[in-house]
Amino acid sequence: MHKFIFLVGAISSLLFLSCNKAPATISASTDFSTLEQSVITDFTNNIALNAYLQLSVNATQLNTALLNLSNNSTDANLLAAQTAWKNMRAVWEQSESHLFGPVEDNDYDPNMDTWPTDYVQMDSVLSSNNALTVQDIQGFTLSLRGFHPIEYIIFGEHGSRTAAELNSRQKTYMISLSADINTSCNDLYLSWASAPVNFAQQVITAGNGSTKYAKRQELLLAITEGMAGICEEVGEGKIQEPFDARNPAIVESPYSGNSTADFKNNIIGISNVYMGLNGGKGLKDLVAAKNKSLDNTIQAQITAAINSFDNITLPFEEAILNQRVQVQQTMDALAILKETIETQLRPFIVQYITD
Amino acid sequence: MKKWRVIIGLVLVVAVFIRCNKVSVFAESGYDNRLSGGIATVFDETSKAFSHVIEGLTARDAAVHQTGDKAFEQTFVTAPAPVNSGLGPVFNNVSCISCHHNDGKGTPTAGFITSSLLFRISIAGTDAHGGPMPAEGFGGQLQDLAIFGRQPEVKVNISYTNLPFTYPDGNQVVLRQPAYQVTNAYRLLPAGYMISPRLAPPVFGLGLLENIPEATLLAFTDINDANGDGISGKANYVFNAHTNSMQIGRFGLKANTADILTQAAGAYQQDMGITNYVFKQESSYSQLQHDGLSDDPELADSLLNAVAFYIKTLAVPARRNVTDAGIKKGEYLFQQINCTGCHIATIQTGVNIGLPQISNQRIHPYTDLLLHDMGEGLADNRPDYLATGSEWRTAPLWGIGLFEKTNGIPFYLHDGRARTIEEAILWHGGEATAAKEQFINLSQADRNCLINFIKSL
Repeated sequence: MHKFIFLVGAISSLLFLSCNKAPATISASTDFSTLEQSVITDFTNNIALNAYLQLSVNATQLNTALLNLSNNSTDANLLAAQTAWKNMRAVWEQSESHLFGPVEDNDYDPNMDTWPTDYVQMDSVLSSNNALTVQDIQGFTLSLRGFHPIEYIIFGEHGSRTAAELNSRQKTYMISLSADINTSCNDLYLSWASAPVNFAQQVITAGNGSTKYAKRQELLLAITEGMAGICEEVGEGKIQEPFDARNPAIVESPYSGNSTADFKNNIIGISNVYMGLNGGKGLKDLVAAKNKSLDNTIQAQITAAINSFDNITLPFEEAILNQRVQVQQTMDALAILKETIETQLRPFIVQYITD
Repeated sequence: MKKWRVIIGLVLVVAVFIRCNKVSVFAESGYDNRLSGGIATVFDETSKAFSHVIEGLTARDAAVHQTGDKAFEQTFVTAPAPVNSGLGPVFNNVSCISCHHNDGKGTPTAGFITSSLLFRISIAGTDAHGGPMPAEGFGGQLQDLAIFGRQPEVKVNISYTNLPFTYPDGNQVVLRQPAYQVTNAYRLLPAGYMISPRLAPPVFGLGLLENIPEATLLAFTDINDANGDGISGKANYVFNAHTNSMQIGRFGLKANTADILTQAAGAYQQDMGITNYVFKQESSYSQLQHDGLSDDPELADSLLNAVAFYIKTLAVPARRNVTDAGIKKGEYLFQQINCTGCHIATIQTGVNIGLPQISNQRIHPYTDLLLHDMGEGLADNRPDYLATGSEWRTAPLWGIGLFEKTNGIPFYLHDGRARTIEEAILWHGGEATAAKEQFINLSQADRNCLINFIKSL
């Protein structure tokens, strides 16, 4: 009888051992490694390259719309130019959720998106004899280049511009400004898409021959850092500074009334990176594979942050004075999201991306 | 008898406790040598590695840090303006972050908005405090940009000559030697003017460096080279416009600034044309380009203080790969060939009751903050207080391995001429000649170990 029990015990042990067979473990880690590569590849193609390509297309459309406005200064053409500007801003602001690589290293950001407006110098420039060629613009200081001087010209104070008000100097200036942006956006796209920089290749081969990212973990931490960074910039900078100071004069993008849309697009950018775009994998796939609860938390917090902007119904310059509760709620939602990214998502990457 | 037992028992207990308490030095191996900044260390190796606040500040201090962080990034515009008013009229850049890319170094070009290189200027002689004699019409620094309608003081053209270098083992490296040509001066430059290029240095960890006791730094000095190792080491003593006194210099590439506040105040006024409570007059005061506005100081006192506090409370990035055998060998070689004669690995900061995170910390800055003769190859031939034309302050090496991350393309040395750490080592001369010669004579594998060690900092 004892022998029998021993035999049963031995067979059961063998069964358990076979359940725990090594190949299953290897297969799981191989799958996760494949998933890591998919997330990186899809980030590169669907998020980064796609954003910079779209930005380049939108820059050309803005330039065309401004040329049309210059040649035929109707209010319809002004509206078309304003729409083109806003379309471009949406793509740009979303791309700010992954502000690393050439856009950071080669100062594309300050070249295109410096704030505040330098009214004194702008007036000097417009009343001067400067030819305002693209080369002239590229020699100007940062606050005389990029999106915001164009915004000032085509929207005017509080969006009050009419087509008839535009003078020839403003027209020349805005066209050269947009041509300058066009050049920057093309260069930015090419720095990702082709030699000599080919940054897309550097990203895709992270941990596998990339000279920029020796490990996948480094890249994924850079992506995470970008998400936390934009949360902070929006929540603790762009929103909080004018909110604390109760000062509408320091709100970014005030002429177009586009501030809240800008901020929301920044956070939609985080969603793009986390969730993935166009059916591709996102960081969520990595997180969900190991910690579904954390994935649920992050998804819920991203959604809450994005939706919170919809409660700000007044123009942002007014909201900081008259919708302070709603603005505060948005700041709170962003602070919570940033905290989760820094204290949970980041450690997750360190723990599980172990190449 | 019982009494004796009790007494003996007590003596034994006391003796044992005294013995337990005897260890006076914590074993070297007990420290985590990734903690370059002691408790003020941060674990991040991305492009934002230099931009983190040290952990554990009080809520109030964290808020001041954050205010300073935002101010550090603000772009200034021409006065009068509703925000950030007062740029120029002549300047080198428009914000702190424009030069200190990601709180680190920048690009060694001059006269562009993406540039991080500026030039000091002076003529023979000294000013009232023993500092460089300003050049009339230019002051102590060349502002190579100006607001629209004004003329920059100069334009500086930079060119490089390739200098091939061959190791005894036949390997070759091409160094590049810069040459600077000052053109388009808005007025005649004075005869015999001297210029000195300065690439914006990283700004993290400076609170810790500021908190090293002066006596510790002086203990590193060896002006007459009494120990005969070819390395002297001299403290600079400089005028502090904030405290109105002479103090030991710690900051600036020639240790010509005493503290963080004065460094930041000077950068606002000289680099951006933003007057403040330390430097109340425009850099262009009494010059043709002066704006004539009575809006000084252009920077709120609290913002200058917040920016200085921000810099003071930026954490030091942790070392990486410290257990790697090759890197450990590199560390050994670094000591063996006496790089540590100047790049001192471990220093204890002083007590600072206001900021426990930088107080009494065991840090690894790899600097002595002293002046050393670096030889003709690196000389700017322009004295700066006690620094001669060939002396430079030992650059802190912590974080140097992350320049590739924070800057995209890394540049090294005071003028960014070196594109790799290897090039930077090969430019060493003067007091560092013996160490450099030993480096050159190492095998290529050992040289790589040493370089990889430096990259791990």
